[in-house]
Amino acid sequence: MKKTVDVSLPIGPLHPCFKEPARIRCETKGERVISAEMDLGYVKKGIERIMRGRPWQEVMFLAERVCGICSVIHNMVCIETLEKLSGIDVPERAAYLRVIVNELDRIQSHLLANFSYCYTIEHETLSMYLLNLRETAMDMLELITGARVTCAYMVPGGVRFDLRDEDRLTLEEALDHMEKELDRYVGMFKNGPLIAQRSKGVGIISRDDVIEAHGVGPVARASGIPESDRRLEHPTYRKLGFTPLSYEDGDNYARIMIRFDEVYQSIGLIRRCLENMVPGPIRGGGTVTAGEATHAGEAPRGELTYYVKTDEYGRIIDIAIRTPSIMNIESCAHYMLEGVSSAADITSTFISADPCIACAER
Amino acid sequence: MSFLQSIKNTVRSRSIHVSYVNVGSCNGCDIEVLAMLAPRYDIEQYGIYVHNNPREADILLVTGAFTPQWEDKLKSIWDKIPEPKAAIAIGNCPISGCVFNRRGSFVDPPVAKHIPIAAEVPGCPPRPTEILNAVLSLAPVVFKDYEEKQQ
Repeated sequence: MKKTVDVSLPIGPLHPCFKEPARIRCETKGERVISAEMDLGYVKKGIERIMRGRPWQEVMFLAERVCGICSVIHNMVCIETLEKLSGIDVPERAAYLRVIVNELDRIQSHLLANFSYCYTIEHETLSMYLLNLRETAMDMLELITGARVTCAYMVPGGVRFDLRDEDRLTLEEALDHMEKELDRYVGMFKNGPLIAQRSKGVGIISRDDVIEAHGVGPVARASGIPESDRRLEHPTYRKLGFTPLSYEDGDNYARIMIRFDEVYQSIGLIRRCLENMVPGPIRGGGTVTAGEATHAGEAPRGELTYYVKTDEYGRIIDIAIRTPSIMNIESCAHYMLEGVSSAADITSTFISADPCIACAER
Repeated sequence: MSFLQSIKNTVRSRSIHVSYVNVGSCNGCDIEVLAMLAPRYDIEQYGIYVHNNPREADILLVTGAFTPQWEDKLKSIWDKIPEPKAAIAIGNCPISGCVFNRRGSFVDPPVAKHIPIAAEVPGCPPRPTEILNAVLSLAPVVFKDYEEKQQ
């Protein structure tokens, strides 16, 4: 059958709704989208290429600059890969501190994603509330690690700084504050009639389609694949009794709600870490040796994989990074956007998949 | 100073539209620009409005170490901004390329080679307050008595 295309609608690379440059080419009939394609390549810097041949001490800082939003998980997975290939053990307290910082990073990333969505559907009040709540999470990151975005908190064999007792009290207070405020905002999101109209039943992706498009992270979990969470295989998370969440609907509403629920879950995980933590060393030491390893972790947007090969001096011979966003962009462009009924829903559906272009292109 | 100029000065002092463009950054600076919108920093109390339309903008915030894709696009975005205008480089990347300026990478810093940069905010990434301070201190320098300076 011949396709009738009325309009070819390009969105981007510079668009009021996008944080980063990306271009969506939509073929539309009226305003209904028939098919969509993504144009990428606006922020390709070639990080993996400049990582090769450098000592791990330099690669560690380059790794967390792959993405500014989820810099902690890039640091964590890179360091855990180096630990795996050279057999370095982490002290218990350091393992819990890593989980605390990682979950704080997840909280701020999810809140930022939901801020972007609410901003895109023009609910500015709720988006500003969420952005202000994110500042609390950023404060806690700064309190523990000393920096807001690029922390470089984890090193092979441990973490850089300990959590002091007075900082622990501040952290607990901030968690209580975040939970209380979030109840209000999630209530606003759930009970807002206009939000539901803009979000429910828009940009649907079914379970089979997610599997076919290799969707990961909140996109997969919103379509009923809880087992896609890589935290299930992480030893510290298993010790904490982590169980992933999921929604069945696979629309924009489910994708935003799963992020809200995961923020609650992250707050719970941090509390459990604080309960289980006993005083002890935070750095065990160790040397990075020759080896080859692949390791995956759960970034705020999904599965993040590092393949690293080193020589006996700890220099990186080969490195490959697989970031979650590229699969989510794929499932967004080819499944979610198909049949979306208006141009305003194109941007909101795209933002609900939470694409991170800097991650995807590196 | 003419009467018209004084009206323009008054209006412009509290109505600055900001547009931001990411020419290959890691997102770190972009989220700090977004954080300026938060009620804690509240950029709008100074009359600064952040939106991403270059045709309405007065100030362009540039983040990122220049990637080849932007070779012609950044220039055309800069041309679309009406006079008077200014560009601010946010973060180390547009100033020097930061960690990405190594042999083998695709970046081509500094951004000042491609468009005129009026102010630079170093940091990896700079704090939202520093970005806010740069916008606020640059605006009067560029916009005050603009027409009279042109003559």
